[in-house]
Amino acid sequence: MPALPQLYPYKAGPIEFIVMPGETVGVWVNKVYNFFKVLYIEGTPRSDPLEIDFGALGAGAVSGVVQLTFLEMPDNEFGQFRAEVLDDISALLYQGRADQRHKLNIRVATYTRFTALHDPDGHEGEFYVHENNWAFMQVTNQTDYALAQTRVAFWGFRYVLEQFPESVYSWTARPQRLPEQWTRVPATAHL
Amino acid sequence: MASPYRQKVRGIRKSSLVITVAANATPEVIWNLTQGGQNPRTAIIRKIMAYNDVGAITLEFAVAGVNILPVLRLLNNIDNEWLEDEIPEVEVGGDITVETDLLGVQVQLEIEEVGS
Repeated sequence: MPALPQLYPYKAGPIEFIVMPGETVGVWVNKVYNFFKVLYIEGTPRSDPLEIDFGALGAGAVSGVVQLTFLEMPDNEFGQFRAEVLDDISALLYQGRADQRHKLNIRVATYTRFTALHDPDGHEGEFYVHENNWAFMQVTNQTDYALAQTRVAFWGFRYVLEQFPESVYSWTARPQRLPEQWTRVPATAHL
Repeated sequence: MASPYRQKVRGIRKSSLVITVAANATPEVIWNLTQGGQNPRTAIIRKIMAYNDVGAITLEFAVAGVNILPVLRLLNNIDNEWLEDEIPEVEVGGDITVETDLLGVQVQLEIEEVGS
């Protein structure tokens, strides 16, 4: 008897999609879950169009908060992404522009060249972008010399969605109407 | 001796053409950095091979006129090789040139290019 795939966000190992087509997801945006049926999944391989260069940075310099425009998703889609830092920088992820990801009470974890040594597949840094809830990054040159380029590469999957009407599933209704089985997709930092 | 330390593979391996150095003490491009689509790539020398039957003594690699490794000592009538474990992890963002004190040395590089 074939085993069912074990799919879930932040799964260790090489990236896998987090649900199968036809399954239900709840996408966490603006402090509520919105419910969708997944219609279609497609890979977005790590490649030149999905790499950003934040440009030259002097020793210890910090870039601005830059929108990852190429990770913007169309309506009725969300993306699942992992990242790898290519130069000796630390990269801080924001979703939206004022909300840092991977944060603790007084510190925020970042992506660095060291991340890939301990987490070669980048699963701990996985993140999700739903429609126009954009992702941003700010990078810091960690060296004591100028860097001519500061690059971060991305890869993942895109998911095409069909939204369930509020009359079917609703997080905000009281009592809530929730699917029997669904996968939670943390697509923003709103907490 | 193999190094016990290995980083995660950072890029793709490519090799230069075999260059026969054309002039005494004159830098000559041996590796044109790949343009990439929209973002710059960087390059790391992983292996160096040089055959010298002209009595040359020095072998140098540079980017934009700045040496990226110390001057290497060439031996005559022997294949001179420097492998990954013996080469510092120097990452450069420009074309790499080779220079020998006497022309006629054959040189080839293996390069790891970082990027997408």
